[in-house]
Amino acid sequence: MTTTEPTEFTVTARREHAVLVVRVAGELDYDTSDELVDEVVRQLTAGPTPPAEVRLDFGALTWIDSSGLSALLMIHRRTSALGAVLHLDDRPEILERLLQVTNVLGHLTAPVADAERGRPEAGDGTSVARATGARAADTRTSDTRAADART
Amino acid sequence: MVRCARCVPSLVSLSRGSPARPFDDQAGTAWPEAPYPVLVVDRHGGLVRVNAAARLLLPDAARGDRLHERVPAWLSQAHRRLGDGTPGTFAGATAGRIDDRFFEAHPTPAGDGDIVWWLVDDTDRRLAETALSDARTRTDVLSEASSALLSTLNVPRCMEMAAAMAAEHLAEAAVLVAPAQGKRYPVTSARRGGPVTQSTQKVNVAEVPGLSEALQGFPPVPARWINPADIPGWVVPENFAGPVGSVIVTPLPGHGVPAGALILLRSGTEHVFSEGEEVFARLFAARAGAALSAARLYTEQAAITATLMHELLPPALRSVHGVEYAGGYRASRDHERVGGDFYDVHPGTGPAEETLVVLGDVAGKGLDAAVLTGKIRNTLHALLPLAEDHGRVLELLNGALLSSHHTRFATLVLASVRRRDHQVHLRLTSAGHLPPLIVRADGTVEEAATRGTLVGALPDVTAHTVRTVLAPGETCLLYTDGITEARGGPLGDELFGERRLRRALAECVGMPAEAVVERVQMLATQWIGTGRHDDMALVAFNARRNGSPTGVDGYGDSGRDE
Repeated sequence: MTTTEPTEFTVTARREHAVLVVRVAGELDYDTSDELVDEVVRQLTAGPTPPAEVRLDFGALTWIDSSGLSALLMIHRRTSALGAVLHLDDRPEILERLLQVTNVLGHLTAPVADAERGRPEAGDGTSVARATGARAADTRTSDTRAADART
Repeated sequence: MVRCARCVPSLVSLSRGSPARPFDDQAGTAWPEAPYPVLVVDRHGGLVRVNAAARLLLPDAARGDRLHERVPAWLSQAHRRLGDGTPGTFAGATAGRIDDRFFEAHPTPAGDGDIVWWLVDDTDRRLAETALSDARTRTDVLSEASSALLSTLNVPRCMEMAAAMAAEHLAEAAVLVAPAQGKRYPVTSARRGGPVTQSTQKVNVAEVPGLSEALQGFPPVPARWINPADIPGWVVPENFAGPVGSVIVTPLPGHGVPAGALILLRSGTEHVFSEGEEVFARLFAARAGAALSAARLYTEQAAITATLMHELLPPALRSVHGVEYAGGYRASRDHERVGGDFYDVHPGTGPAEETLVVLGDVAGKGLDAAVLTGKIRNTLHALLPLAEDHGRVLELLNGALLSSHHTRFATLVLASVRRRDHQVHLRLTSAGHLPPLIVRADGTVEEAATRGTLVGALPDVTAHTVRTVLAPGETCLLYTDGITEARGGPLGDELFGERRLRRALAECVGMPAEAVVERVQMLATQWIGTGRHDDMALVAFNARRNGSPTGVDGYGDSGRDE
């Protein structure tokens, strides 16, 4: 194992049939977020058919700032437009906290809306991440109901 | 004799074909055919022989003439000195001008007291030396120009220096015309040895042949095509010595766009600009143009940044209606990346009305973030009448910010604040922002339980508002993640973090708002040390300790404990 710069940012994408898996490593911030969006958009439009699922793997993410979150929102816009479901997998604490505070996890990982997809889509919870599933579910419902309950 | 043959500089002897053998060997038969002008002069200064080459040089010279009547004084005097028998005089050559050529004269004794003068034409070497020295001077001038001009990023100063240097080294006077600002042209005039004047004039650049072309960056009109009589009066500096004799107009090439034009003037008494001088003027103009456009670009950027920074600068806070507000803002040291932290306090119209405090953070950096920050502050200002319903305000703000082109968003906290008696009543709403922290009188630090969606990126946003009350000595703090995400500490890369912030706040019970802000800022700054950091903004407020709750008395206390 070679020692590399721990904060070096890398995006690695691979397509497994209908699933696009993008591994994001390092710091996703003002300087690197464009790179991620560009790569995902390139992958989305690369094949003859767009993927049905896009999984962003954050297992090796070391940092994310507001520009990074902005990039995730942009990726979600692109995947939704193509009818693909976005998953944010293996979220580290820093990302989890950011998604909670900004209240966008539910939006980012929601099943593709009818209007966007053009066909009805049933079910929910497909986006719950492995490691932090409970927390994610909590976040999604907290928009209104949980918040009201707290008071 | 050999020594004298050696005296002939090798440069000349090579090019001219020096005598192959010493003079003596020829027994006086070689020199009449020699390619050098040769004069044989007797000890009294009478010309004895003149060879063919010398006759070409001195057509009037003939045998029997007096030397001093036929040759310039430098040569006849050198001959006289030899006649005086001054020791050592044969050792070297003497040199001087004959007509427009330059000669070295080498004397050799020829018996009978006669002296043979070999005249070696040295003109080309002299010219080469002059050219070399000129080239060195010019190189020096150019590098001096570059280093002097590039050392300033102030446009007027740069133009002043460029004009002064051009007048010093290129011409008698130099006029630098910058691109028009509206209908007026900044004109910088310099006269050699005189002051530099700068003014903005409404001049007709078409009056000067080649000037409007030069200002558009077109190649220069050759100097010889510009008639000095066509030069209008505004170009000629005050106290210019006499009528203009020759003119050069050359563009100052900038980065992509012309940086202006340079007009060089010489009076009628000076020699006209040579082709070499024109080339040099263009080289100088290239350096000056590069420096000027760098200065201009910098100035423009600095002006934009200053304008933005001024707009973004948080307001000075004060006490409003019995509540003390204090704000702290520390801009990122990364000046090219104007951050997007902001805060505002919009005082209620009266003590019974709520004051709206806004603190937020725009995603991204630089111009885009600055523009979005301005938009948010303005929109919120316009939405003030709706501040009773934070959710509605955020909904409208979100709609105003949505763009299909980007997902740049903002997170912010709204706090509606009203003092009643000794308490401060709050409504707090976070829109995707770090929740406000409240320092209670017993030293516990609470996080306000407000949650909401960031604004500007999603079609719909939700937010939950919480109400709370600050007792005397309790403080509410709004802050941006620049504080908690400040990297530093003993290892240099640790986050300041919420835990440290809370611990710091726990020690702030009963402190005035300003002291709380200063304490947190100081701790964060110490934490960062010399490292880089993002924007940091924070606002603290609490009930003003001294004095009565200003103006509250007259408005009654209806509806407290809601």
